[in-house]
Amino acid sequence: MVIDSQPRQALVRRFTGLARSTPGRLSLIVVVLVVASLASGWLATWSVNRQERALEDLATRSEPLAHAAQEVYRALQDADATAASAFLSGGLEPVQLRERYEADIAQAQAALSVATASSPDLTATLAAQLPVYTGLIETARSNNRQGFPVGAAYLREASGLMRTQLLPAAQELYRAETDRVARAQDEANFPVVPVLVALAFVIGLVLIQRYLTRKTNRLLNVGLLVATGAATLSLLWVTTVSVLVMNDVADSRTASEKVDVLAQARIATLTARGEETLTLVARGAGQSYEKNFVEVSKRLEGLLDRAKALGNTEAVDQAGRQFQQWQQVHQRIREADDAGQYNDAVALIGNPFFDSLDQSLVRAIGEARQEFSDEVAVARASLAGTVAGVLVLALVSAAGSTAGLWQRLKEYR
Amino acid sequence: MRRLALAAVMLLGACSAGPAPSQVVPRSAPAPQPANASTVSAAPSSSAGAPPSCDATASLRPGPLPQAGQMPEGSTMAKIAQRGRLIAGVDQNSFLMGFRNSFTGEIEGFDVDVARQIAKAVFGDEKKVQFKVVTAAERIPMLQSGAVDVVVRTMTITCDRLKDVDFSQVYYQAGQRVLVRRNSGITGVEGLADKRVCVASGSTSLGNVVNRAKTTVSVPNWTDCLVMLQQGQTDAISTDDTILAGLAAQDPYTDVVGARFTDESYGVGVPKGQEDLVRFVNGVLERMRTDGTWRAIYGRWLTPLGPAPAPPVARYRD
Repeated sequence: MVIDSQPRQALVRRFTGLARSTPGRLSLIVVVLVVASLASGWLATWSVNRQERALEDLATRSEPLAHAAQEVYRALQDADATAASAFLSGGLEPVQLRERYEADIAQAQAALSVATASSPDLTATLAAQLPVYTGLIETARSNNRQGFPVGAAYLREASGLMRTQLLPAAQELYRAETDRVARAQDEANFPVVPVLVALAFVIGLVLIQRYLTRKTNRLLNVGLLVATGAATLSLLWVTTVSVLVMNDVADSRTASEKVDVLAQARIATLTARGEETLTLVARGAGQSYEKNFVEVSKRLEGLLDRAKALGNTEAVDQAGRQFQQWQQVHQRIREADDAGQYNDAVALIGNPFFDSLDQSLVRAIGEARQEFSDEVAVARASLAGTVAGVLVLALVSAAGSTAGLWQRLKEYR
Repeated sequence: MRRLALAAVMLLGACSAGPAPSQVVPRSAPAPQPANASTVSAAPSSSAGAPPSCDATASLRPGPLPQAGQMPEGSTMAKIAQRGRLIAGVDQNSFLMGFRNSFTGEIEGFDVDVARQIAKAVFGDEKKVQFKVVTAAERIPMLQSGAVDVVVRTMTITCDRLKDVDFSQVYYQAGQRVLVRRNSGITGVEGLADKRVCVASGSTSLGNVVNRAKTTVSVPNWTDCLVMLQQGQTDAISTDDTILAGLAAQDPYTDVVGARFTDESYGVGVPKGQEDLVRFVNGVLERMRTDGTWRAIYGRWLTPLGPAPAPPVARYRD
C-alpha cells in the first residue's frame, strides 16, 4: 500500500496536469467522445435488437401459442357439447355429430401438442385426462347403443371431468399464453434510456463545439460537425422508428384484445349451446343448466358489445344479429319444453343460428388475427436496417470527433 | 481376464460420470368419479332418530272413478284437465322402472306406465302426460313447489315423508337387497361390514344401509352407482330389488344377492292436502288391479324379477 501510493499520486498528477493544459484537455475530449459515441451507438443497437426480438417472438411464437391454447379450449368445449347433443338425438347417433366430435378431439390433441412444446407443465393435466375423457365417452356410447341408461351416467361423468378438470386447465393455459403475448408487447416499448443517452451525446457535442469556438476563435469544425450530424441522425432514426413501432404495437394490442374478446365470445357461445342442450337432456331437471345458459348468454352479449367497441366489422355485426336470433329461438324452445312439447323443443334446437353465429365469430377472429399479424409485420419492417444504420452512424460520429479534434491538436505541436 | 476387463470398464465408467439419464415421470391421472359423489358418515337426521310411528301404507278410500274427460268441478283433477296434460315426476335412470329408451328418446318403464294410466283416467288418452325427470332427492321439493302433479318414481311410503306429502295406496311391494360383482364373494347385506357401498342420495336405502357398511358413498342417480361399481370404486350397491334388477340387466357381470332385508312399499306421491287427487289415484290403482292392467304392466317390464306376483292389497284408513 505504502509503496503503491507513490505511483498513484504521480498518475493523478499527470492527469490533472493533462487536464490543465489545453492540448491535454483536447486529447481527453477525444477519448471521451469516441467512447460516448460508441456507447450510445451500442445502447441504441441493443434496444433496437430487443424490440426486434420481441416482435419476432410475437409473430412467430407467442401469438401462435395463444391461438393454439384457445383452440384447445374451444375444441374441448365443443367436443363435450357435441357428445351431449349426439346423446340427445336418441337412437343411432347422427353421423355429422360423431364426425364433429372426432374432429374436435383431433383438433384439441393437435393444438395441445403445439402448446406442450412451450408449456409442458401447464398441459400435463390435459395430456393425462383427455384420454380418460374420450374413454368415458366411448363407454357411454357403447352402453347407449345397447339401450342401457347407464350410458347417460357415463356421459354425465365425462362431462363432469371436462368441466372440473380439463376446461379449467385449458383456461389456465390460455391465460398463460396471452400473458406471454402481453409481455412481448411490453418489451417492444419505447427505449427511453437509449434515446436519452443519444440526446445527451448530441447536446455534449454541441457544447464541446461552443467551447472550441471560444478557445480557438474558429467558427466551424468540419469533423465535429459531421459527428454531430451523424449523432443527430441516429437519434432521430431511433426515435422515429421507436415511435412507429410503439404505435404499431399499440394497434396490435387492440387487435390482440379483440382476438381475446372474440375468442371468449366463441367459447361462451359453445358453453351456452352445451347448457341449452343439457337442459333438454335433463328432461325437466335441468333448471341449473338453464340458469347457466342465461348467465353465459348475458356474458356473451357483453363480449359482443366489447368486440364492437374495439372496432366494428361486418363479421362482428353479423354475429350480434345472429346472437339475437338465437336468443329468440331459445325462448321458443323453453316455451315448448315448459309446455310439455318436448319433441317440438328438440326439433327447434336444430336451428341454424347457433352454427352461423359460430361461423361469424370464426371469421371475426380470423380478421382480428390478420390485423394483429399486419401490425407486427409493419413494425418489424420499420425496424429493418436500423441496427446497421445506427452502428455505422456511431462509427461516423466517433471518426468525425477524432478527426475534428485531431486538427486542433495538431496546432499545438 | 474377462472379469478384469469388466472391472476396468466399470472403473472408467465411474470416473467419467455423465448426468443421470432423464426419466419420463407419468403424471398420475386420478380416476374420474360421478359428479357430486360424496361419502356419507351417518344416516340423515330424519331417519336417525326413532322413526315416527304411523300406519304409513293406509291411504284414503276411493269413491267411484269419474268418467274420463268429466272431472268433478273445482277438483284438483279438473285443474289438470284444464291444463291439458298431467305433469308427472319420473326417473330416466332406473332401467325397467323409469328410463329413457335411447333409441326412441321416450321415457318408459313400470312407473311411467302407472303415470300413463293416471293420465288415461283423466283425459281418456294416456299420451296426455308430460314427464319431468326428478332425482330421488328432488321428489318431495318438486311436489311441494307444485312443479309436478304426481311423483311416480320408486318412492317408498314412510311416516317421515307423510309429514311433507301425501301418498296413494301401495302400487308395488319392493324390498332392499344388494348388487355385487359376480366374483366378489359377498352373499348378502351381512357381507357389507367391511365394504364400500353406493346409494343414491335422498333415498330410503341410504338410511337402511349406512350403519351396515364400512363406507357409504352417495351419488345423485342409481346409474351413477353402477358406474362406480364398474370402475371399481365401490364394492356393492344396495337398494330396492326393482332398481337393482334394472342395474343387473345392464351388466351381466353383476348379481343381486341375499334376501330382502326391508319392505319398501311404493306409492304415488301427491302434494300434501290434495285428498281428492289421492282418492282419484287410488281409484285408478284399484281399477288397474281388477282389470288386469297391473299384471300386464308387470309382465311388460319386471319379468327379470320373476313371474308376476299378486298386486299389493289396498289398505285404507277411512
